[in-house]
Formats: sequence, C-alpha cells, structure tokens
Amino acid sequence: MTIADRDTDGDTHGDTHGDTHGDPITAERPTTVAEAADLIRATDEPLLFRGAGTKQSWGGWPAPATVVETTNLTRLLAHNPADMTVAVEAGMPLRDLQEVLSKEGQWLALDPPSEAAGATIGGLLATGDSGPRRLRYGGLRDLVIGVTLVMADGMVARAGGKVIKNVAGYDLTKMMYGSLGTLAFIAEVVLRLHPRPDTSTTATLDCSVQQATDLAVALLASPLEPSAVDWVQSHSDPEAGGHLAVRFEGTAAGVAAQRDAAQDLLSRLAGAAQWHADDEETTLWAELAAEQRRGPDVTAASAATLPTRTPDVASELAEAAATAGATAQLACRPALGLHTAAFTGPDDAVARAFESWRASVLDAGTGASVLLRDRPAEVDARVDAMGPPPASVVLLRSLKRRLDPDGRCAPGRLGSWC
Amino acid sequence: MTTYAAEYLELLPERTPGRVSSAVRRELGRLVSEGGLISEPAQLRTYECDGLTGYRVTPALVVLPATTEEVAAVVRVCGREGIPFVARGAGTGLSGGSLPVADGIVIGLARMRQVLNVDVANQRAVVQPGVTNAGISAAVAQHDLYFAPDPSSQIVCTIGGNVAENSGGAHCLKYGFTTNHVYALTFVCPDGSVVTLGGDALDTVGPDLRAVVLGSEGTLGIVTEITVRLLRKPESVRTLVADFPDAEHAGNAVSDIIAAGIIPAAVEMLDTLAIEACEKAVQAGYTIGSAAALVVELDGVLAEVEAEFERVQEICRHNASIHIRIANDPIERAKVWKGRKAAFAAMGRISPDYFVQDGVIPRTKLGATLKRIDEMSRQAGLRVANVFHAGDGNLHPLVLYDSAVAGEADRAEHLATAIVELCVEQGGSITGEHGVGSDKACSMLKMFSAEDLTVMARVRAAFDPEGICNPGKVLPTPRLCGERPGPYRPHPLEAAGIIERL
Repeated sequence: MTIADRDTDGDTHGDTHGDTHGDPITAERPTTVAEAADLIRATDEPLLFRGAGTKQSWGGWPAPATVVETTNLTRLLAHNPADMTVAVEAGMPLRDLQEVLSKEGQWLALDPPSEAAGATIGGLLATGDSGPRRLRYGGLRDLVIGVTLVMADGMVARAGGKVIKNVAGYDLTKMMYGSLGTLAFIAEVVLRLHPRPDTSTTATLDCSVQQATDLAVALLASPLEPSAVDWVQSHSDPEAGGHLAVRFEGTAAGVAAQRDAAQDLLSRLAGAAQWHADDEETTLWAELAAEQRRGPDVTAASAATLPTRTPDVASELAEAAATAGATAQLACRPALGLHTAAFTGPDDAVARAFESWRASVLDAGTGASVLLRDRPAEVDARVDAMGPPPASVVLLRSLKRRLDPDGRCAPGRLGSWC
Repeated sequence: MTTYAAEYLELLPERTPGRVSSAVRRELGRLVSEGGLISEPAQLRTYECDGLTGYRVTPALVVLPATTEEVAAVVRVCGREGIPFVARGAGTGLSGGSLPVADGIVIGLARMRQVLNVDVANQRAVVQPGVTNAGISAAVAQHDLYFAPDPSSQIVCTIGGNVAENSGGAHCLKYGFTTNHVYALTFVCPDGSVVTLGGDALDTVGPDLRAVVLGSEGTLGIVTEITVRLLRKPESVRTLVADFPDAEHAGNAVSDIIAAGIIPAAVEMLDTLAIEACEKAVQAGYTIGSAAALVVELDGVLAEVEAEFERVQEICRHNASIHIRIANDPIERAKVWKGRKAAFAAMGRISPDYFVQDGVIPRTKLGATLKRIDEMSRQAGLRVANVFHAGDGNLHPLVLYDSAVAGEADRAEHLATAIVELCVEQGGSITGEHGVGSDKACSMLKMFSAEDLTVMARVRAAFDPEGICNPGKVLPTPRLCGERPGPYRPHPLEAAGIIERL
C-alpha cells in the first residue's frame, strides 16, 4: 500500500473542524479504491466518509472518527458519449464532471444547490441531494446505474453495471441513496447521461404558496413538461407572497410552444409572468439555489410530502415559528412536494420551531419525511436530530448490523434510528 | 480462486426445510379466507412453473391470501415452521423467479387485485399486487394518466411481479423501470411483520430500502400494496417503422438518433427472422424479407415531437433505409406494437421450440455483438432470431430449435447461455428485464465477483436470515451451479429427476 495523503490537523480543509463535535480528527485521502480498502481494513476506528464536506451535518451529527476523504479520488474512469454513460471516482465534483460532459453536448441531469460549493458525485448519492430539474429528469437515484463500494470490513463490492438497463442482483447502487455514509464508502459511481437541451426559458412571477401549488398541480395535469417549478417565500406570511419560477427546456420549437401554452395557465392561476433566458435565467436559478443553502448559522431542514400538501407545510411552518418565537422561511418545489425550511432566532426558539414543524409534517400521515440539515451546535444540543423512526427502522437496523456490524460507519449520523 | 467466499456460503446455508404437515395445512386453511387453499395434486401442478416452462417443481401447497393481514399470517407460520415460500403474481416471469421450492408453499397474490386509491392531483395510485400492469393504466386513463413501465406481457403480468422483477419494457429508455415509478411498498417481512418502505412523498430519510426490494425477485419479502407514480399522457405520440438493408445500418441509425440529442420513447429492432414470425402471427404490416426493421416512437410536447420526428426520418434515410412506414393514427400504432409485443410468442410460427434470451450490451457494441451472435449461431447450426430494445442495448436473441431432434435442446440452451455470457464480456449484463431467477443464478458468477456476491448475501440475510423467502433464486449456490461454473452441465435437480427442461 502506498501511503495515502494524510492530514491530521485539518487546517488545510475549510470546514474540517465543523465535522464532528469534540476531538480533532484524522483525515485520510486514499488515491485508489484499493488504498481506500486497505486503510479501512487496517483500522477498527469509527469512520466518517467525506466528499467536499458540504453536507456533513445532515442527519444526526456524527461522533469523532477517522475521516476518509474522496479528495484524491476524482478521476473520470470512462465516458462513452454514444452510450450516454459515464463512470467516475466518487470524489469527482459535479461541476467538474458537467464541464467535461458539456464538451459532448451532454450533462448529468442533476442541479443541486451545493454544486457551486464543489459537491461531489459520491456525496450527492449518499445524501440524496437534488435540484429543481429533478421534476423532469428524476433525482440521482434515477440516474445511477452502478457503484463500487468499500464495506466497513474493507471488502470491495460492485453492484449494478455500466449499462443503463440491468436487473442483475440487488440494487445496492440505489440503496446508497440517502444512506448518509452509514453503510459503506462509495468509491466509484456509474451514471446515465442526458443530452443538453438546446433551449431554455423561465417564467417568474410573485404569488402565494397556494397559487404556486395550484399552478404546479395544473402543470402536472397539462401536457406541458416543465423541467422545474420553484417557489420561495418572500413575506413572513407565505399566503401573502413569494417568488415563483417555472422553467421549460427542449428544442427551440418545443420551448416556444410550451411558453405560449404556459402563458395562459400562469395568468389564469397566478398572474402575469416575466420571461427570462440566457445569462439572466442562469443568474436567476443560481439565486434560487442560494436560497437553499444558508450557511452554518442558519438551521435548515428539508421535508418531502405529497405535492398538494405544500400550502399546509407552509402554514404549519409559519405557525410553528410564530409559536416558538423564531423566524422561518420556506423554499418549495410544489410539483415534487419537496421543501426546505430555514429557521433563525434564539436557539431555544429555533429548536422548538423545528421540532414542532417536523411533528406536524409527519403527523399528516401521508408518508412524509423530514431531514434536519444544517444548524449551529447550540441548536443541535437542543433537538433530537432524527426524530421518531418509521416502522421500517427494524429492517434498517438489520441491514446496518449485516453491512457494518461494529457500527463504524458514521456513528451517530442516523441518531437513535441505528 | 474459489468461486464463493466462505462467508457467502455461511450466509446461504443449505437448510432442511420445515414440513408442510397436515396440521400446518389446517392452520393455513383457517388463516386465509375461503377458497384460498389449494392442495389437490392436479391443481398444484398449475403452479409448477412460471413463464420459464423448462423448470418445474410442484409445491407442497398453494395459498391465495386476500389481504395483507392474511399474507402476514401465512408468512408467520412459514417462519415459525421454517417452510420456504415463493410469492407469485401471474406467473409470466421468464427467468423462473416464481419457480416453487420443492416441499415449500406458493403464496399466490392473484386474489389481491384491487385499485385501492387514485390520487389524481398528486398523480399516484395505491394498488394491490395482483392488479395487472395494463389494469393500472386502464383504471386511470379517464384522468389522462398512465403507468409508464410496459413489459410485453402487460395485459396479464401483475404489478407485484413488476416490482419483484423491476420490469421495464419498450419505453424504459426514456421513462425508466418500475423502480423509477414506485413511491411506497407495504412489505411483509419474512418474519411476518408488516412495514412500509418509502412513502407517498418523493424521499425518505436514510438508505433507500424500497430500492433494495424493487427487483429483488421475491427473495426479501412479499409486497402487498404498491403506491405507483402515474404520468400525464403525452400530448403527442409518433411512431414509424423503417426497413434497412442490414442490421448494421439500422444500428447506425439508432446511434445517430441518440447523437442528435433525441431520446426516443422507444427504439426497437427486429431482424428478418423476427419480422417473418411476427407477420405470420399477427400481420402487423412489417415488410417480410426486410433484413432489419426499426420501430421508433417519439412522444412529448407536440411541437417538439413533430420537429424531432422529421429529423428521425432524415436520419433513417441517411442510413440507407429502404422504406419508412408512418403510423398515422392510434389504430395503426397499436398494430405496430402488437407485432413487436407478439414477437416472442410468434416464434412458434417458425420453429417448434425456442429459448428467449435477455442480455444487455453497451449500445455501441451492437454491430460487433450481432456479428458474433451470427457466427455462434452458424457454429451451433441453430437459427437465432433477434428482437431487441435497440435504444438501451437490451437484446432478446431467440434461439430456435426442435426438441424432437436429439441433442438439439441441449445445444440451444448452451448457445443461449453463451450469448448472455458474451454480453457480459462486452461490458453488459446477464439480464436487462427478465431477471436472474432460477435460470441465471449461475451466470451471476460471470458478472459479479465473490466479494460482490457476498455483500448481496449480507443484504439478503438482513431481510431473511433464515433463508425461507424464495430460496435458490438470484444468488448462485454450489448445489445449483457447482463450485466452478462453466459450460452447461445437466442441472443437479435434472440429473436427480426432480426437474426437467423443455
């Protein structure tokens, strides 16, 4: 084994200190899959897997552990443009991958808000992060076709394959989606690609969360194929106002036709829209992405619900925040039923507001989920990060015992669930 | 290197199954509602195989529960007694995934065929596993919605089976597989407990257990309710059939379509033998004698589809297409698809017997692979018809033979296995949609390493530590495959006279 790049002080890495509560940590940076396997096998310490470190706080905050970073696992392994597939090492930043793919007129159809912060493919798979255009292309869950894992005992295992269509064996690739580093180290990922659309245009207008949801439902029921519908609260009362953005992509003819058809729907349900293209459109979406990422001082949580529950999610948030004495703001994808809430205010109030909002979202009884993302340590100390486990936690624990019997992978990340 | 890791063998031990005693039979009879117990030998034989008719095992008992609670109660008894069980939908699977286990129980889900709820605004439906694939789309058609996965057997195959096999179909190049269209599963664990995997919402917190169960071929538990994703019917659908002088030109046309940034809803290729068989069977209007035909379907927003449809025709002509037939109305389009979807069954018109194979290659290896299959076919002295999903490289070579000719069935099976292993050599997969089942468990050794399989065995053990849930499927065992897999040898169960092939 060659010695992996090793960093014991963490100073060279911006947010290393924010990884865990407590003791300093060791960061290992294997340069090959075999090296990663060797170092994982060589220790019995707890392990924390890290890409760009943009989402280390998602879920429960992990206990101190040896950090295994994918910083030196950034190679493009194979890009077959004609097969519309690409294989990469897990540490490949998404934005770097997009740059390579764009030369062939292709892209990985994923636009998470953390892309600009250097989010890696492995980290995106482990966190299940996605962006506005999930509406059209699905999430990373729908785009991964193969994976190489290093298990907690150092065993290297591949699942899936290099072809888009494949049903041989268990889908361990998708199993990693949302696993938050608790099952295995993701070393390599194979992905399916899409052609870059020729044209794109975005309508924006101001409307309430109810109008945004009605519009999203109407768009879903129409033959139109929007690639994104985003709404961001701009007023303390979500019924009073917010910004809506609706994006269409495709061939020039298709986009023009959709724009005409959408114009009617928009003005009927929400109001007169402004249309944006080119750089203006790019900036607009970058600003919307920034709404989803607020920095370490803000407590942020995501929720997934039925799309039509969106206005309820908004009013429950407003109520929870008001009752607790905190301030909260919502950003939604009403057509997908995905929401991000940002809480600010006194730590106690933020903690109470979050927990009460989570309880009301989960109590609606429609299989909703809530994930605590970012928060300052003071808030973390006051919340149960994971909340009540679902009934299926029995299977999760059983899987964890089989794949990571000593509980080495990200101990504490799934809190009481594991 | 030995084929199996020691841990793997420990995780998949050979166990002596519990006995379906008369007491167990009586108990199960009380647990399921009337008409839910089948124990007459003649009736049991109805369940001895699925669509892979070469493998046959008569189960000890068949139960047909009517509710999730009944399924759970039956499974609890199986767990307590250590009796292996196999879930079964319509029995149309082509890989022997629902082949019964000798002395085990078949849990048929055919009586659970209700559409429980349709949420039009949120484009979701909750259905029981015995609802047919086409039945879901029929139930929501009035709302302009449909269920996208469309396996060729969609008229009869059930959503429960689709979930088990992660079924695809002709349209999965654009729309994905069953796993991309399921939000939640009500799941009976092998110990009889009932949990929900996934949820009505898009994401859950933690590892995606729903994704593990999807495509697990009934080896992890039994799904008794499915929340499916529905799609709005596209505004426009255009379909054409283009004839080409040879498969290479047809393959190049597919590559050019993809390179033009067009993702067709479907691209299917039929070779001359397949065309002949389809025409004899259903007269779908394909050109007999054409060396290769492409069925290309585009769907989506009208303006976009129209422009791209023109472009596809140009590309076909540019690649020496001799004749392009455009389906101008839904009736004509249905006819084109009837021909394509009847392809497997149609082989009976040109050959007494045939094996349906299912393998995947990277699409760009199409030309080379077809050439190699042709050579292998000549060497074996057997005809091979080709029908495939050309967009995603999913081949369905049909190996034609006559079981009345001594030795021909063996040679045909050998050829079918060699073809699928060729797919793995090309960087592909042993199965694109039919599943591993009983048929290809041993071929898993060609595609995955001992370590890969060990991790899969760990996952299996996490769900089913006692190994009673559809044992002998998906994961190879030395008993099924021998220590070193190689060219076809008689199946041990065959040699023992327990099962027989075609």
